[in-house]
Amino acid sequence: MDVAIIDYYANSGSSFLHRAKALSKLIFAALVITSVVISSDMYLLLGIYLSLASLVIWSRLPLIKVISIAAYPAIFALIFAVASWNGSWIRAGVIILKALTAALTMVILIVTTPYPDIFSSIRPVLPKIIAEGMVLTYRSVFILLELTDNLVKALRVRGGLTRRRYLKNIVNFSSGIGLLLVRGLDMSEKFYGVMNVRGYGGKMLEGQREEKAGRNDFAAVILGGLILTVSLMIRFEAGPVQYGAYLTAFSVLAFIASALYILLEKHRVIFWKS
Amino acid sequence: MSHMHIPDGVLPIWIVLIGWVATALILSFCIRRVSRIDIRRKVPLIGIVSALMIVGMTLEIVPIAYHINLGVVAGIILGPALAFISVFIVDLIIAMFGHGGITVVGLNTIVTGAEAVFGYYLFQLFLALLGKQSPGWASSLAVIVGLFLSTNVMLGIVYASHIDPVKTFEAEHDIKDADHEDGVNRITNKGINFVRFAKTVFILAPLGWLLEAVITGLVIKYISRVRPDLIAVERT
Repeated sequence: MDVAIIDYYANSGSSFLHRAKALSKLIFAALVITSVVISSDMYLLLGIYLSLASLVIWSRLPLIKVISIAAYPAIFALIFAVASWNGSWIRAGVIILKALTAALTMVILIVTTPYPDIFSSIRPVLPKIIAEGMVLTYRSVFILLELTDNLVKALRVRGGLTRRRYLKNIVNFSSGIGLLLVRGLDMSEKFYGVMNVRGYGGKMLEGQREEKAGRNDFAAVILGGLILTVSLMIRFEAGPVQYGAYLTAFSVLAFIASALYILLEKHRVIFWKS
Repeated sequence: MSHMHIPDGVLPIWIVLIGWVATALILSFCIRRVSRIDIRRKVPLIGIVSALMIVGMTLEIVPIAYHINLGVVAGIILGPALAFISVFIVDLIIAMFGHGGITVVGLNTIVTGAEAVFGYYLFQLFLALLGKQSPGWASSLAVIVGLFLSTNVMLGIVYASHIDPVKTFEAEHDIKDADHEDGVNRITNKGINFVRFAKTVFILAPLGWLLEAVITGLVIKYISRVRPDLIAVERT
């Protein structure tokens, strides 16, 4: 979980998803996750996953990195799959694909949307202490990450983290975390002082800027709506169901086409420059 | 793993909803409980402890997906009510990183929150039993017992739901067993083998409990030396 790189992707991109408003992307994510929750068709889930992967390519984000960020729940899903194993690989595939697809949806949301925008959008439904806590947590994460980085460097330089001295390493590392906590708490007191001076009265977040919904917003919502529609059709379709297989075939083609387009575009730029 | 994040789409909807309702009720109780303290002072504290938990979770041991989560440390420093709020914030933020499901944030908060709440009370108990001079040992023992209890909470959720990824929907809509059905792509489920699931968890989890206990014990020992005031005062 690389928080800093996720934040960088969210703030540096300029694709249609990056330009869409946080609220429309939250709706997109909600629609896709609903599809994942109601689906039990492996082809459909595979189709949704590949469609999301194509979306990552279209967003000009590094596909492997984004997929690896979203792959973490696979390990937990694997335990659930093992526990419900009845000799069917499809059952295991469904469980793992559900976890992977939902995770990829959320990761697409956060790698295309700066966190403050997401917080602003969900703030109306959260109690004040939680909304404020989320903002300060987000700010503090980056400060602590930097402190952690410095701490690990300092430990390495002074021989605090060395090979084959596992016990000593754990002791030093744990003391380092303790140090981080103490520094963090000191910092929180400073935060409080500074915020007080700036007139903080228990409310810090301001609402999102009022902007009209544009075509990027509609594109995100329509895309989510399409995925949900196909899922519902498959879900409630009686008898033999082929839509999932069609969707998988279509998403494979879309994925290949997206990859080729981006690759050719890169080559075109290189050719033009040369 | 010290605790387990339930992924999206694995549990039936009814138990996911119960998780959200239960978490909302516990959160409202916690918020009411902390309302008499100065929120302006506590919010930065929640922010730092939550951030530390997230940073801990970024340090993963890849092959076994283990990461420290410092839930008991949060419980000891913040007290049970603020720690539960902090755990909810952490679970909500990490769910956005795809780390644990977004639909099951409620259930995951109950599991991880149980660890923080049990951790706080167990720490006080072990501190009373072992003496004020042993905060490290007290916190380590609190972690092991707290994680054992929170793992049982998670197993209880799984048992209640029978961890059936498709049964709920398939049963509702009367779709036949896939092993004999139209295609091989759609499946039904006769339910999880709960004993196998519990065995898998209990084989993998103790390593995480032990690591978490060692790290938490050393962290608390360090804090008790450097800033004893942080763990000595009564918390909300």
